[in-house]
Amino acid sequence: MNEVLEILTDLRPDVDFKEEKALVSDGILDSIDIISLVQELDDEFDITIKPADLVPENFNSLEAISKLVERLMED
Amino acid sequence: MDTSVLMMLDRASKNHFDKVAYRNGEESLTFGELRKLTKAVGSWIARKLPPESPVSVLAGRSVITPVCYMGAVQAGCFYAPMDSAMPIARLNQILKVINSEIMLVSKDNLELANSLEYKGKIVAVEDILDTEADEALLASAVNNLTEYSPLYAIFTSGSSGVPKGVITSHHSLLCYLDGLNEVLGLTEEDILANQSPLDYIAAVRDIYLPLMTFAETVIVPKNEFAMGAQLFETLNKYKVSTICWSAAGMEVPAKLGAFEEVVPEYLNKIVFSGSVFPGKYLKIWQENLPKARFINQYGPTEATASCTYYEVKEKVTEETVLSIGKPYKHYGILLLDEENNAVPEGKEGEICVKGPCLALGYYGDAERTEKSFIQNPLNKNYRELIYKTGDLGRIEADGNLTFIGRKDRQIKHMGHRVELAELELTALALEGVEECCVLYHADKKHLYMFVAGRAESKDIVLHFRKVMPPFMVPRKVIKLEEMPKLPNGKTDMQKLKIYFK
Repeated sequence: MNEVLEILTDLRPDVDFKEEKALVSDGILDSIDIISLVQELDDEFDITIKPADLVPENFNSLEAISKLVERLMED
Repeated sequence: MDTSVLMMLDRASKNHFDKVAYRNGEESLTFGELRKLTKAVGSWIARKLPPESPVSVLAGRSVITPVCYMGAVQAGCFYAPMDSAMPIARLNQILKVINSEIMLVSKDNLELANSLEYKGKIVAVEDILDTEADEALLASAVNNLTEYSPLYAIFTSGSSGVPKGVITSHHSLLCYLDGLNEVLGLTEEDILANQSPLDYIAAVRDIYLPLMTFAETVIVPKNEFAMGAQLFETLNKYKVSTICWSAAGMEVPAKLGAFEEVVPEYLNKIVFSGSVFPGKYLKIWQENLPKARFINQYGPTEATASCTYYEVKEKVTEETVLSIGKPYKHYGILLLDEENNAVPEGKEGEICVKGPCLALGYYGDAERTEKSFIQNPLNKNYRELIYKTGDLGRIEADGNLTFIGRKDRQIKHMGHRVELAELELTALALEGVEECCVLYHADKKHLYMFVAGRAESKDIVLHFRKVMPPFMVPRKVIKLEEMPKLPNGKTDMQKLKIYFK
C-alpha cells in the first residue's frame, strides 16, 4: 500500500489519497492520470491491468487500487 | 440565408419542437424548451445590458450551459464562457480581460462565482428562467446587429502569461458549420456525444450542429472518459452515431484497451482534431469500426474551429502520417515564407487562413490582433485579411496539406493549446524559482518543467494545480543546480532532454 501511495502522490501531489474515496467518480483523477497510473502500476508490480479491471470501483480509493494490485499479483 | 445562430434555433424549434436537443443523464432539453428558456434569459439580460455587450458564463457539463450561451445571444450580446472546473486564478484572469457587467452561472456554481474577483452582477440562471419573454425588447436588441456581430469570446493560452479571448462572429461560426456538415451530412437521426468542456472551441460542434441538423447531443460525464469500456457502453446506451472529439480524447480508450470489452456499435462518423492522431491508435479504431468514416480536421480557434479536413480512406498503419487535407467550404489556405512570399508546392511554409471564417480578433488586444490578422501580403489591390497560424505545413502534389510543426513554442496537449512560455512565466513569478524551462515530451505526452532555485518541486506542482487548468500542470518538475546553457547564454534545451526517461 505504501508503494502504491508513493506512485499516486508522485502522480498527483495535490490530492490527499488517504482521504479521497471517489477518485474516479468525482473526476479527481482524469483520463491522462489513469493512463499514467496503469502504466506505472504495471511496471512497478509486474502485473497487467486489463481493460475489464478499469471500473471506478477499482480506482476510487487508495485501498481499492492496492487491493486490485494485490489481486493481480496473486494471479 | 442565416445571419444568426438564433435563426437556426427558431427553425429547429418550429420543425422539431418536442425533439431533444441536449441530453445529460436524466436531464434533457427539447428545441422548443431551449428556445423558450433562452428567450426568458435574453429578456432578463436585455433589460440590463445594451446589445453587443459581453456576458460571462460560468457553468459545467450540463444542458443548462447552452441556455446561458444562447440566452446572452437572444439579448443581442455575446458570451464569454468559463468552465467551472478551471482554477480560480484562471477564472479571475479571464474575467479581468473580458470585464463584463453580468455573469450568468448555473446554481451549483454560485458559491464559486461569489468567491471570484468580480465587480459585476452575478445571477443564477435557474432563478431567471421564468422571466416573461419580452418579444418587442428582444427584437429591438438584435435589430441593429449583422452577421458580423460577435457570438462568443473563447479563451486560449497566451504566451505573455495571460489567456487570450478569441472573439468570433455569428457568420464565422455559421460558415464553419456549413462547411463541416457539407462533409458530415448529419440528419435528425444522428446522435452526437460531447467530449470537450463546453467552454472550449471544440464544443461549438456539439452545441450548434443540433440546431442546424436537428440531431441530438449527449453530454457525457467527464469521469466516464477515464474508464475506457464504460465510455463505450454509454455511447451504445444512447445509440451515438457521431463524435467530434479531440485526437487526444480518442487515444484514451484505445490505450486503455476499451475495444477488447465493448465496441461502440452505432458509431459511424468520427471527426477528430486538436493534435496529430498517432497512426497506432487510429489503427485500433479503424480495425474495430471498419464501416465508420474517419475525418481528420485541422485549424486554430482564430479561424473558427477547423479550417481543413481529410477523410481517411486508406488503411492506417503505425507509420502513417495523416494528411490535414483541403480547406472546408468558406475557407482558403495559403503558405508563406519568412519574407511573406508565396511558397511553392512541396516546400515548407507558414499556414495562413483566409475567408469569412476568420475571428474578429483578440478581445481588448488590438496590438496582438494586428500582429496575427494581417493584410494578405500577396494581395496589393484590395483589403483581404489572413490569419497567420504559426503552424508550418507543405502542400503536396495532390493538393493536400501536410502539417509539419510549430514556428514557436506552442504545443498541443490533451487537445488544448499550451504556450510553454506561459508556464515558464507562471513558475518564474513564484518565490524561489530563479530559472525555468518547460519542454514537452510528445511521445509520453508529459510536460516537463526544469527549475533552478530554492522552491520545492511539490510546491510548484501544487501552485500550478491552483492557478492553471489541469492540462497545463507539469507532470514532472525537475530541480537542477543550474540550467545548462548554450554559448549565447540561452538555455540548452537539447541537453535538458536527457531527463526524458
